[in-house]
Amino acid sequence: MFQGMNFAPAQLPAELESLRAEVREFLNAETDWQPNSDFNAGASPEFSRRFAAKGWIGMTWPKAYGGGGRSFLERYVVTEELLAAGAPVGCHWIADRQSGPLLLKFGTEAQKQQFLPGIIAGESFYSIGMSEPDTGSDLASIRTSAVQVPGGWCLNGSKIWTSNAHLNHFMVTLVRTAPATENRHEGMSQFIVPIDADGVTVRGIDNLAGEQDFNQIFFDDVFIADDQVVGAPGNGWAQVMSELAYERSGPERFLSAFRVLAEFGKSLQNGATESQARLYGQLVAHLVVLRRMSISIASLLEAGLMPDTEAALIKDLGNSYERLVPEVVRLYLPGQVPKGLAQALEECVLHAPSFTLRGGTREILRGMIARGLGLR
Amino acid sequence: MNEEQQLIGEMARRMLDDHCGPEVVDRAEQGDYPAALWTLLADNGLTTLGIEEALGGAGGTFGDALVVLREAGRKAAPLPLAETLLAGQVLSLLGQKLPEGPMAFGQGAVTLDDEGQLKGAVHGVKFARHCKTLLVAAKRGDAWVICQIAAESVGLTEGKDLAGEARDDLDVLVQVQPEACFAIDEAGLDAVLVWGAAMRSVMMAGALEEALAATVGYALERKQFGKAIAKFQAIQQQLAIFATHVAASTRAAETLMVQGEVASIDVAIAKARIGEAAGICAEIAHQVHGAIGYTRDHRLNHLTRRLWAWRDAFGHEAYWQERLGRAMLADEAGDLWQQVTALG
Ligand SMILES: Cc1cc2nc3c(=O)[nH]c(=O)nc-3n(C[C@H](O)[C@H](O)[C@H](O)COP(=O)(O)OP(=O)(O)OC[C@H]3O[C@@H](n4cnc5c(N)ncnc54)[C@H](O)[C@@H]3O)c2cc1C
Repeated sequence: MFQGMNFAPAQLPAELESLRAEVREFLNAETDWQPNSDFNAGASPEFSRRFAAKGWIGMTWPKAYGGGGRSFLERYVVTEELLAAGAPVGCHWIADRQSGPLLLKFGTEAQKQQFLPGIIAGESFYSIGMSEPDTGSDLASIRTSAVQVPGGWCLNGSKIWTSNAHLNHFMVTLVRTAPATENRHEGMSQFIVPIDADGVTVRGIDNLAGEQDFNQIFFDDVFIADDQVVGAPGNGWAQVMSELAYERSGPERFLSAFRVLAEFGKSLQNGATESQARLYGQLVAHLVVLRRMSISIASLLEAGLMPDTEAALIKDLGNSYERLVPEVVRLYLPGQVPKGLAQALEECVLHAPSFTLRGGTREILRGMIARGLGLR
Repeated sequence: MNEEQQLIGEMARRMLDDHCGPEVVDRAEQGDYPAALWTLLADNGLTTLGIEEALGGAGGTFGDALVVLREAGRKAAPLPLAETLLAGQVLSLLGQKLPEGPMAFGQGAVTLDDEGQLKGAVHGVKFARHCKTLLVAAKRGDAWVICQIAAESVGLTEGKDLAGEARDDLDVLVQVQPEACFAIDEAGLDAVLVWGAAMRSVMMAGALEEALAATVGYALERKQFGKAIAKFQAIQQQLAIFATHVAASTRAAETLMVQGEVASIDVAIAKARIGEAAGICAEIAHQVHGAIGYTRDHRLNHLTRRLWAWRDAFGHEAYWQERLGRAMLADEAGDLWQQVTALG
């Protein structure tokens, strides 16, 4: 029908269930974290290293670089299990989802050899450096820039809202390397910036929930060697765009409020009123359909397609759902609210405003859907 | 959907495109029943799809029948297609051969006594006046039976539903032969509800897809303030929301189509989810259409009035939400995540 609405039924192959069981077994044995199904809410280097030891970071990457050579659908199973269990995935999430695949696609052989093994081992963690104080949705307006110097580039400017930069080692940073022309999308490049490099300053920013989650980063004459440029200089915009379907279509876009729903269900085990059962059923119906849509996209990605508009659509629908869950569950709590439910709900209410901002705002996503409909 | 389903869908769509335009829908509402279209669909086996050939059906799965019904929903086909396919499923469940012609199933306050007299009233049987055969669920003592009777044997008060489709009340007082009465249990009657809900779900999905296409088309055409209203961001954002709900509805509907024999839990999910989408999307469709969409002459109402009628038929979304919620809560063995992943 319209471009961007291809959600043909697809199923995860049955043979992935043994992998699922393996992941559940691993997670059941984990004890030292509080579950939170928001991928951005918990980060533990120790957890990420234990997880990496199972071979589950970079599991789709070629074996030649230490990857697992497994399918995208297998990775889907692993990631959704992590989120549903509320594991603290924040340290390795971006490297596994985005930075590694970016290097595989656009990096040089030397870069792959240099950077991928650390990611796979759960030793090196990555941040995304796109937003700036004056640049949000209009990403092409970035001002952080670099000029060519012998052997590389000299970087100046600032990035902001950089999740977990205070815990991470590298930041894939979008930088203007040539002045803007008629075509605003030209002249940008992606650098791999070591966060501990000379001239890089990290300043933590507390989020609304009072946690140190994101940061502002300042670049003050930071030297970036030529071999830290990802892909061809000037190709940055196309590279960033190529990450979008992966960034937006995964289970993290509708599972952020999952703990609330799961705890709500547990609290109703001994009896539910009509309204409680109805609300629970409504939220489960949405969840199941969202998951099926997300699996449909995963199958398209597995087949080598780039369903950007589908990804925007599922993210918008999923984010709206994540915001709905805490808003309505709070109205139908049982008389005695179990501690787990109360805690999940409070955390979710405080994190919810971020769901429809991070990774592309609701309005920007809807603009993409509208383009798929042929309206713009 | 498999290749055969694609072909079935295309065939149904072609026939309906050619013979079920907006004027046919309008005329049907004035009482001009499209009998020729019925014959065309019947001759091509589309009215008995999903029922085995040994019983006089066209073979295929229940999912195949749903594929056709989505197309019927898209074109607002004013025919007892779902009703006949549903009655066919009931007869198939009872191991009975299909009679010729359109059928409908009805359940109301009807009893069957020891002398074989069927007596009572059934309200709101869709398209009853156009049917040849009626299946009436009745109480015999404490147990349920299904009686197969000739439609002409009942007293009929004509009515209409929200969509202007025939919906009649039956006044039943008829002697039935034991060979035309079949015992059915509660589970059998529940299966009828589940099938009916599956049918309305896919019909809504078809109507939603069509309503989105019509609304996008209108937004590109209609000019105000010197440009197409499609260029206003407020309109774009509304249509994007519309599209998200249509995509979810299509996914939920196609889940049922590919299943062959539908699982009741997936029907509950589909009816709850698509029923919710129906209201949201109909509202946006009308808002974008402005006053012209609020007229009888404009074809948008063929779709939106059906969406409003269908979301309430065979259990509205609140019914299925509660039923789904209770089913999930009753299963003590699994936690929510295990249940969700087991659903696939
Ligand atoms: C928790 C969290 C973590 C994040 N992590 C990172 C990270 O690791 N790295 C990183 O680079 N960034 C990160 N971000 C930043 C995120 O990408 C931006 O918040 C997002 O792109 C929006 O930019 P902004 O906040 O500047 O809002 P703005 O772009 O200023 O938007 C403000 C409002 O205006 C609306 N708006 C803007 N343009 C339009 C338009 N054309 N049409 C209609 N409405 C419009 C927006 O939708 C929004 O409602 C994170 C954000 C959050 C909340």
